[in-house]
Amino acid sequence: MSGGHASSGEFLQVPASGVLAMCARLMGAINTAATTASMLALLAACGVLTTGVFLRYFLKVPTDWQDEVSVFLLVGATFLSAGAVQAGRGHIGIEAIASLLPERLNRIRRSLCDAASLAFCAFFTWKSWTLMLEALNEGQTTSSSWAPPLWIPYSLMSVGMTLLCLQLLLQCVLALAQAGSLAGKTEVSQ
Amino acid sequence: MSVASVGMMYGAGTLALMFTGMPIAFALGLVAVLFMMGFMPHEALDTVTQNVYEEMASITLLSIPLFILKGAAIGRSRAGGDLYSAIHAWLNRVPGGLGIANVFACALFAAMAGSSPATCSAIGAAGIPEMRARGYSPGFAAGIIAAGGTLGILLPPSITMILYAVAAQISLGRLFLAGIMPGVLLVTLFCIYTAWKFTREFRAAEVAFREHGTTSAYLDRKVYTLKEKTEMLPRVLPFVTLLLGVMVALYGGYATPSETAGLGGLLALVLVAVVYGLWRPGQITPILKVTLKESTMLMFIVGMSLLYSYVMSSLQISQSAAEWIVGLQLSRWVLLVSVLLLVMGLGFFLPPVSIILMTAPILLPPLKAAGFDLIWFGIVMTIVMEMGLIHPPVGLNIFVIRNVAPDIPLGKVIRGVLPFVGLMMLAVLILCLVPQISSWLPDLILGAGS
Repeated sequence: MSGGHASSGEFLQVPASGVLAMCARLMGAINTAATTASMLALLAACGVLTTGVFLRYFLKVPTDWQDEVSVFLLVGATFLSAGAVQAGRGHIGIEAIASLLPERLNRIRRSLCDAASLAFCAFFTWKSWTLMLEALNEGQTTSSSWAPPLWIPYSLMSVGMTLLCLQLLLQCVLALAQAGSLAGKTEVSQ
Repeated sequence: MSVASVGMMYGAGTLALMFTGMPIAFALGLVAVLFMMGFMPHEALDTVTQNVYEEMASITLLSIPLFILKGAAIGRSRAGGDLYSAIHAWLNRVPGGLGIANVFACALFAAMAGSSPATCSAIGAAGIPEMRARGYSPGFAAGIIAAGGTLGILLPPSITMILYAVAAQISLGRLFLAGIMPGVLLVTLFCIYTAWKFTREFRAAEVAFREHGTTSAYLDRKVYTLKEKTEMLPRVLPFVTLLLGVMVALYGGYATPSETAGLGGLLALVLVAVVYGLWRPGQITPILKVTLKESTMLMFIVGMSLLYSYVMSSLQISQSAAEWIVGLQLSRWVLLVSVLLLVMGLGFFLPPVSIILMTAPILLPPLKAAGFDLIWFGIVMTIVMEMGLIHPPVGLNIFVIRNVAPDIPLGKVIRGVLPFVGLMMLAVLILCLVPQISSWLPDLILGAGS
């Protein structure tokens, strides 16, 4: 796929010790676990769809469940890995202006973008949890004959969005801390 | 406030937010939510997540990560280099055979991997140094690979086409088939140009040798024996079989497009394990990580683009814009050219995914009203978006080439690529004059109809 658009921007410096360092390490570990789960979900979706073809054509067994299982697995893989992708600044944006700005302004621009992204994702996360709880309380299911409960994909979406919010929050806090330490250095040098 | 004013604010707000560098997915989502807050009933906000989930929970859309997995598995192996070497050996006697081998290798690899940058990177890594070593000018070599890579979004399974099929609500199988003959047309045009340009550069090398004694690698030709040629086949055949197998599964009625994606992803992993020995967790994990990175980014853009389109439709923006375009009563060809210029302009900044999902609700109704077949238009639009991949000022493939061959100056790469942009425009013109090029194969295999 494609698109001529850029990317990621520079990575924030994580302090070597302290609360922020601990939070960053913890978030890193959570992202690794979520990525591993997403990788397994991806492989499982391949397996389910392939098995479906064989069951239907060779054993003549109906496979009305395979599409929904695959959708749940792939929705899970997509949302659970969202935080890890954000950690590597993998959600692309148009960086044409970024390349024209001086470093200090660019840092402010990046922080504002992160804050706006966090605001949207926080809203989306809140609504995801509301939707999940509603589906759980009302016993909502999909409209197919197999009718699996909808709280399963909704909870994967909610957990994934929560991880994405935490990652964005960490990046915002790291940016603030970095700005604070840079301001401190400037004062000392003056 | 009038719909037109809201629509203009919606468009301007989106562009402004996107140009801040905010991730495209979040910018689209934020604009949609802000306009829901401002102009829609409060209850609409409660349906935001449900809307995104329901739009995303389509097995056709969710086949995208699996097609990306197939491409990542093949791209991570040495299949690109092997494919290129084998075709090169077999086309060695054809004038410009090495360049033509690169075009063919790009087309085949693109059809297997479904990604333009991955194709440029995989074939270019082997192809560009070899072409330069054989005397091809750097710009020419870069142009062949950059243009060949664009075939990735035209030949099935193309992610761009999956999204277009969803946005235009047309048959994905038919759309995939409709892309094959235009793909062959582009390959043919690229090959003819490559042979012509080779002959020119070859003659210039001959003249330079005759008149000044300047030697050129063009004048040394490597000849392959039949044994050497046949020895190259075993590594390539499994992947070509995978390509054909996937097509047979899809069009033989054995599997749906999503099942084909799952089957293709699994088979690609099995093949790279058997042929290249990539089976250890440490070797498979990078393939899966790359897949997740690309597919998650893409699926978020898809999900939020669909939310964006939903808000645009709920606020009557897309309907009013479509009615306005129809009301202009432009001749159908002026309408088509205007739409294609808009797509090309947007392609400078936005990925094809966003262009399709954001513009389809506005552009497709007037085009349908003007009597254009939406499958045919999907192919033409795809070729135009391909141009954006190799056209300055952005052109993603140009930057991939710069990574593969950093010593070729950007100016030379751009000059090498521009003739191929011209060939793509020619292909669009031919498709406008002979639309049957795209409709013939789907009509033949699936029967006439839309």
